[in-house]
Amino acid sequence: MLKNRHIQGWLQASPLTLVLIGFLILPIITIVVVSFWQATEFSIIPAFSLENYEFLFGSHVTYKVFYATLKYAAITWALTLLIGFTVAYYLAFHIRSQTMQIALFLLCTIPFWTSNIIRMISWIPFLGRNGIANSALQSWGVIDQPLEWLLYSDFSVILAFVHLYTLFMVVPIFNTMTRIDHSLIEAARDNGASGFQTLRHVIVPLTKPGIMIGTIFVLTLVMGDFITVRFMSGSQKANVGRLISNDIALLQYPSAAATAVILLITVLIVIGILLRFVDIRKEL
Amino acid sequence: MGKRPGSFYVLSAVFALFILFLYGPTLTIGILSFQGPTGGLTFPMRGLSLHWFRDLFEQQAVGDIWGAFRRSLALGLMVMVTTVVVSVMGGFAFRKRFYGSGILFYLIIASLVIPSILISLGVGLIFSQLGFKIHWATSGFGSQLTWTLPFGLLIMFAVFNRFDKSFEEAARDQGASPWQTVRYVVLPIIAPSLIGVGLFGFTLSYDEFARTLLTAGSYNTLPLEIFGMTTNVTTPVIYALGTMTTLFSLLIIGAFLLTVWILGKRRARLGSDAGKGV
Amino acid sequence: MSKMRYSRRAVLKGGAAVAAASALPAPMVWAQEIKDITLRQFGTGVSNLNEVGQKVKEDLGFTLEMTALDSDSVTQRAATQPDSFDIADIEYWICKKVWPTGNLQAMDTSKIKNYDKIVGIFKSGKLTPESVIAQGTAPSTVGFVEGPGATAFATEETGWMTLIPTIYNADTLGIRPDLIGRPIDTWAELLNPEFKGKASILDISSIGIMDMAMVCEAMGEIQYADKGNMTKDEIDKTFAIFTEAKKAGQFRAFWKTFDESVNLMASGEVVIQSMWSPAITAVKSRGIDCVYQPLKEGYRSWGGGIGLSKSLTGMALDAAYDYINWYLDGWVGGFLMRQGYYSAVPETSKDYMSENEWGYWFEGKPATGDITSPFGDVLAKAGETRDGGSFYDRMGSVACWNAVMDENQYMVRKWNEFIAS
Repeated sequence: MLKNRHIQGWLQASPLTLVLIGFLILPIITIVVVSFWQATEFSIIPAFSLENYEFLFGSHVTYKVFYATLKYAAITWALTLLIGFTVAYYLAFHIRSQTMQIALFLLCTIPFWTSNIIRMISWIPFLGRNGIANSALQSWGVIDQPLEWLLYSDFSVILAFVHLYTLFMVVPIFNTMTRIDHSLIEAARDNGASGFQTLRHVIVPLTKPGIMIGTIFVLTLVMGDFITVRFMSGSQKANVGRLISNDIALLQYPSAAATAVILLITVLIVIGILLRFVDIRKEL
Repeated sequence: MGKRPGSFYVLSAVFALFILFLYGPTLTIGILSFQGPTGGLTFPMRGLSLHWFRDLFEQQAVGDIWGAFRRSLALGLMVMVTTVVVSVMGGFAFRKRFYGSGILFYLIIASLVIPSILISLGVGLIFSQLGFKIHWATSGFGSQLTWTLPFGLLIMFAVFNRFDKSFEEAARDQGASPWQTVRYVVLPIIAPSLIGVGLFGFTLSYDEFARTLLTAGSYNTLPLEIFGMTTNVTTPVIYALGTMTTLFSLLIIGAFLLTVWILGKRRARLGSDAGKGV
Repeated sequence: MSKMRYSRRAVLKGGAAVAAASALPAPMVWAQEIKDITLRQFGTGVSNLNEVGQKVKEDLGFTLEMTALDSDSVTQRAATQPDSFDIADIEYWICKKVWPTGNLQAMDTSKIKNYDKIVGIFKSGKLTPESVIAQGTAPSTVGFVEGPGATAFATEETGWMTLIPTIYNADTLGIRPDLIGRPIDTWAELLNPEFKGKASILDISSIGIMDMAMVCEAMGEIQYADKGNMTKDEIDKTFAIFTEAKKAGQFRAFWKTFDESVNLMASGEVVIQSMWSPAITAVKSRGIDCVYQPLKEGYRSWGGGIGLSKSLTGMALDAAYDYINWYLDGWVGGFLMRQGYYSAVPETSKDYMSENEWGYWFEGKPATGDITSPFGDVLAKAGETRDGGSFYDRMGSVACWNAVMDENQYMVRKWNEFIAS
């Protein structure tokens, strides 16, 4: 019976396992192998070499770009958490009918059906030098000169990230919040806790798993991104993803693979740390 | 229903702002898609017309929007069905807590967190090193699954964590076979969540760019096509496309809500409390 | 195998001789089967136009499927996915990178009907017998190989072509005269602090580096021995100048796609930038004043061509040759020239353009009536002349070509640093 359970388990998980082996494990192995190869302009030479890594660690740009990547991730994380938590809190505790909850929740998801690229491009007429934002601010007399930093800057990159990824924070937090037993909150209130104290000592600790899962989503999406940074910074800023995609574009596959390996290790370390704080499987 | 606390109004305002922020670009797209025939991608508006919506259904100077759309739709549906089936099987498997399930679980997490471009690069490299032809329905399909399956499985875990096992026990006590239990008890209860898994699978696939970038082969999927279109004069036709997509998704979500509502009514009438926890 | 095909082809050639005498070389011998042939072409949106595909279906009978990609994907696909295409529409500098992979096959020029009429730039490298070949990856330097299967480029015409030239142009800076308000006549103006926050260049390294070189040379900062083949030291110096300018906020953005350059200019984000000719016409067609400014140092030129996948054989290969002959026959040339590009065989294109159009686009004469693009937009009114003048004026003052250098790998890394700085 026991043995049977394991076999059955593996059988049922076999399609999943096959997909993961073929399209996750093998590609990673390939990337790791290729990262030790050499390349010329036009071909990959399968000869062991540490040259790619030497160059990577020897260049100050690498450190700068990794710093920029982590910076984008950290700022985006803080903002999406703040907004995501507030929105989820509102939906979970202030909207009383379940139908209304679902309706409002779906309202948040609709923009995500429009292609990311189109949504990104459409920020440009909004934020540009003569865009809606600047014209509005100027006509209200808030500013005399158009604000240059609205577009093609760290600001616009992070704005786009927050816009694209806040939902990934809202969903898991909302999910955990709906599981909180409302009697706990009533108990806190009955014991004289203020609204803020209830939030601080009851709701936040109970929502932690959702926050962690949302954090994992947002961090990995931001750290792996390359297209948002390119569009929103007008190619002026770089993160690790862009470094990789530039290398790919220039057919420097081994160099791209080496950078990818370092990025993967970084992401896995970050996620590994986060997973120490939460057991995803139990908390979903 | 008690009196609303003051914080309710503050938070309502915050929520409204958030919605405005989310819809800002969608609205910009919406407005600009009604550009006059000589208008460009940016303000100012040059007249007001339905020109670009008509244009959307005609041949473009570059590319093949509808071909790409058909491919993306087909790929999205393939990914959706596969994601639902594999996730459900996986969900059942993980309830058994078999040997090695921990490792498999970490692989799923790894699949979720690995930057998309790595999958694209890796799969592209494998296919070219082995001399296979890359195609959106093979390499592109597989690459997208590494993204949609973790989502599907996470949802399944959430569902089974809340699943009341007493239903199954009751069924078993009544003499149902394991298959009958699954078919007539478990699946109906988790059905609404499966719609969620399917929707997730489809949306994530339909909009996936990075994972298909190096794995799509000769023919573009829609996101790649849109990106390719920007190499020539881009017209507001892509905004018209965006607006159509938004309207289309509103329609789908409307239909989904209606289904849930009708199912709820029917359930209420039949007096079953199944699915209430979901 | 290849020998057999060759002889069969020779027979076909004889049989088709009568047909070839007519305007279009559509051999009737296998007219039925040809309907089933589909050729897959990819390239950037610049020349991968659906109208060309439609016209091919009408004139030649087979199906030509066009896939438009961004320029990075074009290079990748040509280099890594030989099975995903039959015809590659790429630039000459991309050819320099891709040819050694062996993914493309050389073309027999004896099968190219209009070969003799192809302009000298793509053969001897010289526009006129007196011309000097410009620096950089000039098309003639990567246009020929010794024979089928050869992976090294030949230095002269050999009868085996790598790419059949399709379109090319001389690029310079685009400006917004209404926002600048004074004459611009040198590349050095790109880094003029007057345009701080309002300048841009492209983020495609092989092209961008040449723009940079033109600017540095014009400023008198660097004397290059050969811009198209810089030393590491020259590369360092060039990037140092531009990195400093970037840090000082000279650039509003870098653009990578055609569309971005149009929007940057049309929305007034940028008033001076490196640009492509049809992008200027796209800005103009929105009623915004925009000039493709000829500069005293000359132009940076580029050329594109079509190459055949090595996996093309038999009937499909024959169809591809028909396609190439058709391409050079003038219809496409006229179509492209009316957008501001040049055709590789200008004289055949003349038949497909009005006298006014030919005068305006090729001869640099004042327009005698409205000049419209193939898509119906009015690009110039009577009396206007083309920026930069005639074909010989423009192509005659090419200072360099987009280039892939010996130190390319080093340059690419420096480029990455520049973007990240």
